[in-house]
Formats: sequence, structure tokens, C-alpha cells
Amino acid sequence: MTEVTKTPAAGDALPVKTGKRTNPLANVFDELVRFAQSRSLFMLHYCTGCGAIELPPAMTSRFDMERLGIQPMVSPRQADILLVTGYVSVKTLKRVILTYEQMNSPKYVIGICSCTVNGGMYWQSYATAKKLNDYMPVDIYIAGCMPRPEAVIAGLRGLIEDIRRGTADTWKDYYRRYDHYLGNQQRLFGEDWQTPTDVIAEARHYGLFGPGTLGERTALLERHQKPLEALEMKLDIPELMARRSGLGSKGRTEVK
Amino acid sequence: MRPENYEAQRQPPSHEYELNIGPNHPGIEGNYAFKLRLHGDTVLEGKADAGYLHRGFEKLMEGRLWIQNLAITPRICVPDPVPMEVSYVLAVEELCGLEVPERAQWLRVLQLELSRIAAHLFTFGGHAATTGMYSTMFWGMADRDLVLDLFEELTGGRVYHIYNIPGGVRRDIPDGFLDRVKRTLDYLESRLPDYDNLLFTNQVFVQRAKGVGTMSREQALEWGVTGPNLRATGLKFDVRRDDPYLVYEDLEFEIPSEEAGDAWARTLVRRKELVESIRIARQVVAALPKIRGTIRCPIPNPLAWSVPAGSAYTRVESSKGELAWYVVSNGGERPYRTHVRGPSQMHAVQVLEKLSVGARLEDIAQTMFSLDACPPEVDR
Repeated sequence: MTEVTKTPAAGDALPVKTGKRTNPLANVFDELVRFAQSRSLFMLHYCTGCGAIELPPAMTSRFDMERLGIQPMVSPRQADILLVTGYVSVKTLKRVILTYEQMNSPKYVIGICSCTVNGGMYWQSYATAKKLNDYMPVDIYIAGCMPRPEAVIAGLRGLIEDIRRGTADTWKDYYRRYDHYLGNQQRLFGEDWQTPTDVIAEARHYGLFGPGTLGERTALLERHQKPLEALEMKLDIPELMARRSGLGSKGRTEVK
Repeated sequence: MRPENYEAQRQPPSHEYELNIGPNHPGIEGNYAFKLRLHGDTVLEGKADAGYLHRGFEKLMEGRLWIQNLAITPRICVPDPVPMEVSYVLAVEELCGLEVPERAQWLRVLQLELSRIAAHLFTFGGHAATTGMYSTMFWGMADRDLVLDLFEELTGGRVYHIYNIPGGVRRDIPDGFLDRVKRTLDYLESRLPDYDNLLFTNQVFVQRAKGVGTMSREQALEWGVTGPNLRATGLKFDVRRDDPYLVYEDLEFEIPSEEAGDAWARTLVRRKELVESIRIARQVVAALPKIRGTIRCPIPNPLAWSVPAGSAYTRVESSKGELAWYVVSNGGERPYRTHVRGPSQMHAVQVLEKLSVGARLEDIAQTMFSLDACPPEVDR
């Protein structure tokens, strides 16, 4: 991260592929890839709130999400869609952002329930984040409190159509305007907010380095960066024996 | 066959490690985390990590009108929202001294029992899924949707209904609704033998669930356990019978109980409660046509409604246990203070922490689902 403290020169960023390519075969290939992408989506549903209860009906036999090629996936690294189902409290939002940054591109975010749109029922709550869009780019919102399974299916169909047309590319916005998103996150979690993912390096890797990737907020990342703790294998047998016989509060982990 | 020079040695416990389950994990019920300290696959210590779903209900309600609060009360417990509404409404009625028409009370009982059926079907599915039996989940969801269809017809909402208001209910039943309730209840009852074959007498499930998460009656009472979890230890305590509200005094039903106090017993109690709920709902369906009259008593303008000063504590039996609202009014248009006594607070935090000590790793998810804890209600 140290090498990108200043705004990169024009040659640094790779040209972003937009629109149709000149080779007609490449266009056909792109179409095929997008069709395949849109028809096999693995979905990580983070049950952040009430909306999670309408997902089992949407997944199981009555509404059957699987006929659209959508299946739940338990690990973020293999998932394509991040479903944020309902209000996100501040404690949850940290985990949602960590999960989002772990996912591989292209990745799509769906905000279910009114709470992710504008705070919904909890607009005056001290504990929830109001607009999901401030913290990560959202592809599709499904409004309602709570949206019916039909609405969830309709939203997913909309996303599939967007992916097929090649317009579902909000994930690129996270890299191009990382400073904006990080600023909102820092406003909520404090200036020393850090995630393990080096988003700036990823932006360079994907060729998505935009004018908003770096800024005054990303400069804070470096200022507050803590050195990675080296993993030490320590086997202190007497201490372990004492902990095992004690089983008390000595080995308790602190809850953040 | 041992080698000749083999000699077993006592190894120091050096395989102790930590494992986080949740907050986003298929084996945990909702947005909730559990931190385990393990040796091999035996749990040495479990630590609940709640707070992911905190919205600050009790503070939110102080800032809203009495009638506005109706909209957020069911959102405290998502799988079983009706008892939340009803107990809040009962508290407001007690403060105002409102006389609720009899027909409204019967309609509330119908709603409460249908909600209990839906919640239990949901729990069976989740519990079976933690033991690897996903078919029950698919069946339970499909059957639960039939109950949700009834709710949709009656109230307009599948999950959140907001059908009860202080003084009665919002609207009367649609034409032919009772026939459809009867048909659905018949269907659900006819499905029970199938569920028995699939889950309740299935050795795959029985062997996994027996002896898991056992607590004695004394422990249950000490830890504040209520509802089916308490009845699974042999104590027949049910708010519907021991502190009757609405018209439960006029209804005939049994309080099912089991002696073992483990995950298996808790599941069996829920299965028997399903039968009792169907029985109660049938009685309501039979009685409703004979009870005529209004469905709500007159209330003042709800937008400028000052509830008399005082406090009320009303409790109902939800599918998870005893649920109560403590509401304090200082004579204003908004509540002065509200508090929820939810069953899952005890079940998911302290009971689960204690039951997990000494348990095996693969039984943790099952223990949590068998306690039927509801994380949104833990955090509020």
C-alpha cells in the first residue's frame, strides 16, 4: 500500500473494457460468458434482519429459486451475490463490509427490505445504519416490509437480466470511488477502521483505478495501520494444563 | 494389533483451540454468534455473542405514539410475531381499562394458535436441517406457507400482520374464511403421520437428538427457562392455563410434557403442541359463527390519545415461551417506558452457554435450534 500514496499517472491504470469489442468473435464470446454468469449464481445470504424469514419460502419448493440457477452458498469467496436481508446494525455492518470485500469480482449486492433503502421502520434508531448504499454499492433494492417471495424472485430476475446485458457493474464503483465509501465507513466506525483486504491494490489489479480511489480518507488508512502480528507457535504446556484444570475466565475471549 | 514397543502415553492437552460460529453461518439461527473453546471436538466453553440485531426497541417506542408502536411490536420476534402484538395490546387495554368485545378475543386466539403452528413448523425444519435432514425443512416451509396464506387473507400480511389494535381487531373475517381454516387444519393434521415417519420416529434423528443438551427441572427453573423447553423437563407450566388471558379459560386443551429434558424431548413437546393448537383452532372455528357483535370497542382519536398514567405487565404464551410486556405510562401520548420479557433472551444466552459445556461440536447447532431461540428477540 505504501507505493500508491500519490495519485497515479495516466499510464498506471489499465484501460477499462467498455462497450463492444471490434472483433465480432469476441463479442459472441462475451455474450456467452455473460449468459453463463447470469444463469449460475451462488448466493450468500447474510441474515442481517427480518427479511431472512421470507428467503426459506423463496428457496424451497413453493417459489423455488433454484429454477433460476440460484443456490445458497455458505462461503463468501465462492459466492456471487451478497443478499443483505433487512436492517443492518452497526455491529453487523462491519461484518457485512468484511464479507463484501472477501468476495471475488464480479460480485453483486442485493438490498432486501426497506431498511436497507432508507432505514425503514428504524429511521430514528441509534443502532442501525440507514442507507446501505453509503457503505457499499448496491445493484438492486427490493423494497417492502417485508418483501414477498414473489418480489424477491422478481428482484433476482432483474439482476439476472442486468448481468446478461452487462450492466450489473456497480462492484466496479467500489474500486473507483473507494475514498467515498471508506469515508462513510470511517464516519460510522471511527477513523482507525481497517479491513484486512487491500482494496487499493485490488483496484490496480483489476485496472479500475479511478480518480476517487485515493483521497484524504484512504490516507488515514496508512496512518492508523497496525503491523501484522507474526503468528507464533507457542506451546506452553504448564500453562495449558493450568487452563484446562481451571476452565475459568482465564482463557475467555473478549467480545467486541 | 499393537506394536510390541507400544506404550500409551498421557499427552498434555495441547489441542485446545477456538472456533467462532456465526454471525453468518448455516448452523446458527439468524444473525447471532457463538464462540467456542474446544479440545478435539468437545466444547470446553461457549460464549454467546449477541448484539448483531440490536435496534433499540425500548427507546424507539418512547418516541412514538401508542398506536404507532403497534407497527414495530411484531418485528421483535420474526418467526412468531403475533404474541408480541397481542401482549402489547393487552397491556395498553389494561392501562386504559378497555372492554374488548368477545368476538375480537376469539379472533385473537385463532391468530395466536395459527402463529404457533407456523412457528413450530419452521422450527422443526430448522432443527432437522442441523442434523442433515433437509427434507423436513422443505416440507415444513411448504406447510407453513398454507398458514401464511390464511394470515394474508385475514390481515393482508404474510409475516407481519398488525391485526390487533387496542380495543379489538382491525377487521372481521372474510366470507368463507372459516371453511378454509378448517380445510388447512385438516390437511395439517393429515400430514402429521408423514412427519412422524420423516422425523419424529426416524432413527437418524432420534439417535442424534436423544441425550443432547439435557437439563434438569431444577436447572431449568433456575435459568429462567419457559415454554416448551420447560415442559420438556416435566413441569406442566403454561401461561394459557395457569394465568389465562383472552378466552383460554373456555377452551379445552392439554398441556403436553416430557420428562427427559433433552433436545429430543423438546421436539416431542412441540409436536404434541401442534396437535393441541390444531384442536384449539378447531374450537375457535366452531365457536366463532355463534359469537356475534362488534370486533372492537370505541377508542379515542388514536393520533391524540393520552393513556392514563400507570403501569401494566401482561404475559402470553408464545411458541418460544413466556412473553411479557411491561408498559409504563405517565399520562402522555407516548409510552414513558416499555420493556419486553422475551423467552429467547434466557434460552439463547445463558442456557445455551451452560448446555454447550461438555457437548460435542456437532451438537451445538442442534442444541440451539432445539431451544428454539430467536436472535432478534434476544437483541431487540
